[in-house]
Amino acid sequence: MIEVTIQLLSFFAAAALVIIGITGMLFLDNLIKKIIAFILLSDGVNLMLVAVGYVEGGIVSILLPGMSPSEFASKAILVFPVGIVLTNIVISVSTTAVLVALVIMLYRRYGTLKSSKVLKEERR
Amino acid sequence: MIELSASFMVVAYIMVVGITIGAIAALLQKDLLRAAFISGAESIALAFLFQALLAPDLGLTQAIVGTVLLPGIIIVGIFKTRRTEEE
Amino acid sequence: MIESISNLWSIPLLVMIPIFATIIVNLLFNRNKAIKYISLISALSLVVITLLSPYGFQWFTGQPALNPNTLTFTFDASIPAWRMALEFYFGPLQQALIFVMALILVLVIGIATNGLTKNQGPYIGMIFLLFASAAIIVMVNDLYHLWIGVEIGSLVVAGVVAASGEGISQKAALKYTFFSALSGAGLAIALALILGLTGYSNISDAIRYIQTTNLNGMSSILYVAFGFFTLSWIYAGGLVPIHPLKSEVYGAAFPHGTAMLQTQSKLMLVAIGLVMLRLFGSLPFAREVMLSISVLTMMLGVVMALLQTDLRWILAYLIVSHSGLVTVGISLGTYDALVGGLFQAVNDVLYMSVLLLGCEAVYYLGNGTSTKTAAGIAKKAPWLALAVVLGTFAASGIPPFNGFQSEIILIQSALKVGLPEVAVVILILSVTTFIALFRAIYSIFLRPADTTHLVVSGLIPSEAQEVGKETPIPRGLYLSLAILVVITLILGVYPDLVIRFLTPVAQAVSIPWYP
Repeated sequence: MIEVTIQLLSFFAAAALVIIGITGMLFLDNLIKKIIAFILLSDGVNLMLVAVGYVEGGIVSILLPGMSPSEFASKAILVFPVGIVLTNIVISVSTTAVLVALVIMLYRRYGTLKSSKVLKEERR
Repeated sequence: MIELSASFMVVAYIMVVGITIGAIAALLQKDLLRAAFISGAESIALAFLFQALLAPDLGLTQAIVGTVLLPGIIIVGIFKTRRTEEE
Repeated sequence: MIESISNLWSIPLLVMIPIFATIIVNLLFNRNKAIKYISLISALSLVVITLLSPYGFQWFTGQPALNPNTLTFTFDASIPAWRMALEFYFGPLQQALIFVMALILVLVIGIATNGLTKNQGPYIGMIFLLFASAAIIVMVNDLYHLWIGVEIGSLVVAGVVAASGEGISQKAALKYTFFSALSGAGLAIALALILGLTGYSNISDAIRYIQTTNLNGMSSILYVAFGFFTLSWIYAGGLVPIHPLKSEVYGAAFPHGTAMLQTQSKLMLVAIGLVMLRLFGSLPFAREVMLSISVLTMMLGVVMALLQTDLRWILAYLIVSHSGLVTVGISLGTYDALVGGLFQAVNDVLYMSVLLLGCEAVYYLGNGTSTKTAAGIAKKAPWLALAVVLGTFAASGIPPFNGFQSEIILIQSALKVGLPEVAVVILILSVTTFIALFRAIYSIFLRPADTTHLVVSGLIPSEAQEVGKETPIPRGLYLSLAILVVITLILGVYPDLVIRFLTPVAQAVSIPWYP
């Protein structure tokens, strides 16, 4: 029987968020909802990155006084994924801002938010 | 030392359910403003889950960014375009 | 230039100078003269730094490498050791690629500062950031900085495309940014998988771990990571499923912006392709997947190019199909194919820039670039017609130009591996490129001009919109065309000038092809 840990639950939640995000970005019609689906996708990726670094029965990665370095190295969670997630949060805020700006410009030109009308290919 | 307790497991179960339901509900709304708010609620559940995964700095960052910054940008977008989804 | 230095001064400069130039040029919002001088000085300094720099590493954690046999720390880069660091490397391949991109940066900035847009600050800043992102991706040796470079590049492309202000460019920018968000998330998932599997994010360390430990059935994780990497590769070069998206991006931007965009794309293709070859090259069917994507890109891109009636769009589809030519070389993975593919990337950037700058001049002279409305330009600008015809010869692989040298290496390597079908597809690509371009050249340059009112197409900048009045061409444009045509001629006659920079990488990375 597979033991259900927090790490396993987080991987399932991350997979669910990634699938919901990708499906939403590809198949939803409204442009603002595609942007909300992108936010959900990057949340799922962040959760997966943090869950990779989790250590069972571990401690938060703060070196308290009186702790030896080898005990810290064996029990603390991995710190590198935390750095990657902070970078990812900044990148997702920037990308959301660029996407919303482009959607506003396209709404002013075409008057609708339906992606089937706005993102259709033009005859050249 | 900060130790893991069984209550983290309960928190993790509740938050995982909340995240999945919140994600699906946010994409099925007709009112775009409500979709932005539900995505903010889902970000708070994710922040609790980050704390349960022993990354409290990420919990703080996700709580702020996911409730203020990202729904704020989407609300600016809704304000300049339209509030409800078209048929 | 053969010694290896361990904390090279030029690597941070190559990344920081474009970023500082972006910030300064953005602050000088519309003082165009100051922007022109600062950006030209920065771009020329980048060319000089690339020429003068020795080869070496830059390790971000500052610690030496750990020799596994003796368990001592060492700064010597030639001993195989565990790096355990975030690492940049500047070698001969990086010098060749970044030098070509810096040269095109100087020429594009010389043209762009001559006033197509009113507030030049943000636009020139984004062109500098294109250079910075491609430089990061080419020099990097760990997955974290590779992902950061891809994300920077994807946001800046949206800005450069949307700056031309037409409806089709904003649509192209939005569609492309949605796909880039998807591919960036995919690359982060691949990073998480490889970090979880091997414990290292440094690419050399991850490869040694995968080769030296028994993975016990976890090798299917490598396939998933390979799938996400292929998604990013497809995004970077506009390969088969998204070739319409990328061609719209190329066609909707200003032509000089497209010159910089296609340089960044080809360098990203080369760098990500080499990383994929090193990490996943020995997985069964990995290189077959990459090869089939490349061949499909070549065929579909050139078929779409034959159907277009506007020179910008013909060039856009041709750039995508020639990206397929570069990736064929990288997918085959043998020594000759790698040399051919990398040399094809350098040549492709040069002759496509010739054609794009010629397209920009037609933009000013001919009231738009549609083959239906522009005519008789050879009378007004004979040297321009000559330059575009020479660029067409280079693009189709005709002997004294550089396209011939790289295509002959690719064809011979495909035959040597035992895949004559790929060689046939490369030949079809050459011939069809020639046909597509010469149709446009006849209509635009050689056909006699009508005396009736020309229909003004919707793709003209506001300066050139008055029918019958000629807009002065920027002075730098003819000089840039001359420089690039001369370089294509020199590389066609002496290909060794570039190939000797490419052979070390090809020797280190090449894998024999097992049918």
